[in-house]
Amino acid sequence: MKSKVKTYSIERKQARYGFAFTLPCLLFFAFFSFYPIINAFITSLTNRRAIGRTWEFIGFENYAYLFTKENGGFSLMNSLRATGMFTLGCFIPMVVVSLLLAVLIMQLRKPGHKKFFELSYYIPAVLSSVVAATIWRIMFQPTGLINQMSNFIMFTTGKDYKWLTDNGMLMASTIIVYFWKYIGYFAILFITGLASIPPTIYEAAIVDGSSRWHTFWKITLPLLKPTVMLVSIMAMLQCLKTFSTQYMFVVGGTARKPIDVITMNIFYTGIRNGYLGRASAMSIVLFFIMLFFTYFQFATQKGGDDVEY
Amino acid sequence: MNNSYVGKVKAGEVITYIFLILIVAFVILPILFMLVASFMDARQIMAMPFRWIPSKDYFSSPTRTFFTNFIKAIRGNNNNNIFFRSMLNSLVVAITCAVTTVFFSALCGYGLAKFKFKGRNVVFMAIMSTMMIPFEAIMIPLYMVSKMLGIMNTLPGLIIPFAISAFGVFQMRQYLLTFPSEYLDASRVDGLGEFNIFLRIVLPNSTPVIATLGILSFRNQWDNLLWPMLCAQAEKLKTLPLYISGFAEEKQTDEGALMACALLASIPMFILFFTLSKYFLGGAAVFESRKG
Repeated sequence: MKSKVKTYSIERKQARYGFAFTLPCLLFFAFFSFYPIINAFITSLTNRRAIGRTWEFIGFENYAYLFTKENGGFSLMNSLRATGMFTLGCFIPMVVVSLLLAVLIMQLRKPGHKKFFELSYYIPAVLSSVVAATIWRIMFQPTGLINQMSNFIMFTTGKDYKWLTDNGMLMASTIIVYFWKYIGYFAILFITGLASIPPTIYEAAIVDGSSRWHTFWKITLPLLKPTVMLVSIMAMLQCLKTFSTQYMFVVGGTARKPIDVITMNIFYTGIRNGYLGRASAMSIVLFFIMLFFTYFQFATQKGGDDVEY
Repeated sequence: MNNSYVGKVKAGEVITYIFLILIVAFVILPILFMLVASFMDARQIMAMPFRWIPSKDYFSSPTRTFFTNFIKAIRGNNNNNIFFRSMLNSLVVAITCAVTTVFFSALCGYGLAKFKFKGRNVVFMAIMSTMMIPFEAIMIPLYMVSKMLGIMNTLPGLIIPFAISAFGVFQMRQYLLTFPSEYLDASRVDGLGEFNIFLRIVLPNSTPVIATLGILSFRNQWDNLLWPMLCAQAEKLKTLPLYISGFAEEKQTDEGALMACALLASIPMFILFFTLSKYFLGGAAVFESRKG
């Protein structure tokens, strides 16, 4: 009886420690995640400006404004389009190429070679986005390296491919920067996913006379499906949040409008121009877009747990 | 028949290597460009055709030496000489965030993984749900909160909002779920207090995950441009990304100096990468644990 009481009290003591250990994190997130998102929502319903001490509630006027008006030439609709085009144009090639790289690297027989390719592909991910965008912005100049190479590849001479001046090309340029920076990173994620498939499955397939191509489509890819889904959505979420690349291009002198992604619009509207209410409304729109895809991610993750080898 | 099979495999391998090496070229080319261009002036960088090896006459002009660009990069806009200051700020912010993220994430993850208490699942879900709130969506309120707290334009202001990551908590929890409870019980029998168990038993036995998480957090802050743009208006508080973007804005057409600046700013990260590449590439292990 006595011992029972004792274990009970030890458990209670333990429980108190357990809660105490989580408390700093809990307080932190309450203050730096939950409060700000609620605050963003409330602010989005006001006409608050950075200058000026008073503001009032104006209901959903900010949202109505953003979805119908031009917002000084940089409308939310334009930003949604720019973000959507960037995300689609970026994450699909990124996932396809990095998966291909991962599969090819895994098939190499010499560990030294594997290591070499893994390290090389990862290098751009080590550079900061600001540096990456700066290098590429210079290479994309009309007389720069990329234009010269484009002329060489396309058998043209002296043609200006307008990498930074044509709207579509400018969008493509930002996509290339991002693609370049992250393919190695995602290839490594895929390699880890591939490594968790037991080699005995491949061996069995080869014994059964399965060709490489066949092995890939019928065995590797289905087993890899949860990983592919997960990495795709991770890549997508990352693309939706892009800021530095576009900002560095604009700072470097390109047009803002074609690459005015939503984060950049929030920054300019809220911080540069001081329309805090309006920028908060944009933040909330971004939040719901991301929420949708994150929910999607968790849903697929759940599905992923069912796969057993 | 056997021969043709071997031949086929060989051909496949050759194609694989060609493709992989082409991608290496694509990946490495811009970095080589940065390296070479950092010694050139704008005219040479934009020369057609581009010459990869700077010839001697590149440096023959009396006003131009081998290091002209680097000196410009360090002097900065209006000779404000804040390059090294910015690098130091970046290092301080990134290292502090790495340390606090590891410590608090481990503490919280340990509490969630190894203790039973009322509301544990609620706490866990609450922390996980913050992963759905991207920084970009709350930067405006964070800006207002920081102003209110008076940490705007201070070093703590750059650090505090990123001091803990929900993903870190998740990762530590997943890792510690498999931590043998016998160790913990044995230490309790030996009379070690709960916090000491965490410090002396749990932390030292989690080095791989700590290294991975620390590097992840370091990189995120090293790369962070948006928050310092909001929070660090004072010159002496600038971090490297902020320094580079300011430099790029003013020196739009001085490409050589820009590349020198980019190169210098990348050196600390390159050193870190080549000494700790195991943990960088192991960053993928993060993701494995994420599947839980």
